[in-house]
Amino acid sequence: MSSLSLSARDTPDMADTPIDEARIRRLADLLLEVARTVDPELAASVPSNFEGDPRLEALRSVLLEHDRAAFARLQQKVDDPQEFAEAVSAVLASAFALAASRDERLASILAPTMERATQASIRTNPKTMVGILYPLMGPAISKSLAETLDGTLQGLNQAFKYSFSWQGLKWRLEAYRSGSTFADVVLKHTVVFRVEHVFLIHRKTGLLLEHVAAAEAASQDPHMVSGMLSAIQDFVRDSFSSAEGGRGGGIDSLRLGDLTIWCEEGPSAFLAAVIRGNPPESLHTQLRETLGHIHEDLHGPLEQFEGDSAILGDLSTRLGSCLQQQEQPKEERLSRWLWILPLVLVIAVVSWAVSRAVEESRVDAYVQLLRDQPGVVVTGAERRDGLWHVSGLRDPLATDPAELLAKANLAPDRVAGHWEPYQALNPAILLKRMEATLSPPTDVSLVIYGNTIRARGSAPQHWVEKARAFIAALPAGSPRIDLAELQDVQDPTFIALRQAIQAHIIPFDSGSPRPARDQEPRLDKIAEELAQLIKVARGLGFSVRVTIIGHADATGRDTSNLSLSAARAEVVRSMLRARGIAPDLLSVRSAGALEPLKPDATDEEKAINRSVTLTVSTTD
Amino acid sequence: MIQKKVCVLGSFGVGKTSLVRRYVQSMFSDAYLTTVGVKVDKKTLAVGSADVTLVLWDIAGEDDINAIRMTYVRGAGGYFLVADGTRPETLEIARSIQARVNTEVGAVPFLLLLNKADLQESWGLSREPVEALEAAGWTILRTSAKTGENVEEAFLELAKRMLS
Repeated sequence: MSSLSLSARDTPDMADTPIDEARIRRLADLLLEVARTVDPELAASVPSNFEGDPRLEALRSVLLEHDRAAFARLQQKVDDPQEFAEAVSAVLASAFALAASRDERLASILAPTMERATQASIRTNPKTMVGILYPLMGPAISKSLAETLDGTLQGLNQAFKYSFSWQGLKWRLEAYRSGSTFADVVLKHTVVFRVEHVFLIHRKTGLLLEHVAAAEAASQDPHMVSGMLSAIQDFVRDSFSSAEGGRGGGIDSLRLGDLTIWCEEGPSAFLAAVIRGNPPESLHTQLRETLGHIHEDLHGPLEQFEGDSAILGDLSTRLGSCLQQQEQPKEERLSRWLWILPLVLVIAVVSWAVSRAVEESRVDAYVQLLRDQPGVVVTGAERRDGLWHVSGLRDPLATDPAELLAKANLAPDRVAGHWEPYQALNPAILLKRMEATLSPPTDVSLVIYGNTIRARGSAPQHWVEKARAFIAALPAGSPRIDLAELQDVQDPTFIALRQAIQAHIIPFDSGSPRPARDQEPRLDKIAEELAQLIKVARGLGFSVRVTIIGHADATGRDTSNLSLSAARAEVVRSMLRARGIAPDLLSVRSAGALEPLKPDATDEEKAINRSVTLTVSTTD
Repeated sequence: MIQKKVCVLGSFGVGKTSLVRRYVQSMFSDAYLTTVGVKVDKKTLAVGSADVTLVLWDIAGEDDINAIRMTYVRGAGGYFLVADGTRPETLEIARSIQARVNTEVGAVPFLLLLNKADLQESWGLSREPVEALEAAGWTILRTSAKTGENVEEAFLELAKRMLS
């Protein structure tokens, strides 16, 4: 509950004045009444001492008249929408400004409403919004179009420039292969540039805020350059901007030969990039973004800048991102070792050609060697399927062609021989054939004289006979074989045995077909000698025939003598057979009395003619 | 490092370009003065322990036809007003320029250089106006581009004032 107290400060002149109790009470009542009037709570709890006192109402109307009127006016303002709106409108702008300066809440509260309002406005009448945006969109669209067109024209210029050159033809081929347009390929190859310097320049003072340069870029004093760039921007802006345009745009781009300066303007600073070559449009975007970020982050320092760049911190990293470059794609140079490939090829071809020529000459030499060989007739030599084929006729006794390959320095697998066998009549081959067929004894030498083969030395009878038979079988036109100088020689054992056998005379009694009784040992001896002879002859390579000749003396009739002599020979044959001599080696002949061993013999001597003799002949 | 934009202003032919030519690092041709109307040079000097780079905007002289482009003055940290001691009217022009520059950039430090001090015997400048300017708080130096008198001092003085 509220309390009411009254105190009076003593003043010097009041100290002597006696206090009127009644006056004080009245004043207290009055003040209590005033308090009751002001505080409704007090009015309810403390009863009034002035109820029904008309003076109080009069006092109220006097004291509170002004407040009541003011309150009524206020009430009227709040109750009447028109008046309330007027009152709020008077302070609304200040209230918004105050709220916006305090924090961001106002903006975030208003944003949805603004969006809805904008949408409603566009729905209701799009023209209004177009009218609002036109001053912004017009320049934005035209700038964008200009830049696009600039890029396209740049591309077109390049395309025309390279359309009809050798380079152009190569690029056309590349475009065809890669499936892209020719213009794209031209751009790819020609958009080559290097950002050499980037200046960040304070707009108001023209002072340099930051400068970065590419390595090896020609360097001028960046302070002076930025000052002068700034001055030129001002000059252009002053000279060519329309008066009502106020702060018109400055220079976007300056070109001097291969150098281009691109300027990107921001509210407090501008970026100038010095570019050598043909920059792509994307660089503009990069410059714009870099400048935008710098302004976002350093808005205050940029505004306050008066020459001390320390307040901006280090901006070189940010500007460094604008130092872009694109290098001309280097011609794909062939490896310096690649020349080895053709060299190896050339060496291979040359060595192949040389080896082929060498081989060919060797084959020629080989063929010549073959032609020089007796018994070989070369009919053809050709190269087929990587191999040499030599064909012809060859006597089997002639030199083996394969043996001559080594002589001609040819590998056996490089040459294939195709030889038809034939019998050569060449004296040398004939000599070989004689040697092969007759196996001449060591004492026999065969020598060629022109078209004749001469046999010299000594040879057994049977060989000579073999040689004669060989000569007889030769075809007509063969070289002559001369055996005239050949001496007939026999084996001494054979000769001795033959002489011994041929010396035997087996006597017979007159008229008897059987040898005399004392002739048994002689027959044994003959059989023994014959067996030896046969053995010796076989050892020498031939066989023998023994002719048993029966004789009769001249007494008696011739016919009986003939049959007697035949009988005598037959008996001897059978007796020799009985002694182990093969009968097919023994032939018999009856000489009768026609071949007496001793003609004109006496009677005593006639006994000799009653006999059997033996003749040895040789056969092959 | 601290940089300051310094404008060199004055009437045509008072020797602004000559005044700075021997004392600054220069890379642009004087032809810019007649084409663009300004030539930028640089002067680096030490004020106390700090290095200050003065980027000098040598602005083409004013005459009856061409007024100074005030755009070039914008953002200047200080400026030189140059008058020719042999031509009293150039002092008047300097005063006029100062008034305009003051409007554009505010009260930034400046020095008045009375150039051609080497030709003092042929000066037509009376004392009164100079003293009046000094009384008004202007700092005035007599300089000679020919002899180099007071030139270095002028740069140093302006640099000091801009840094203080």
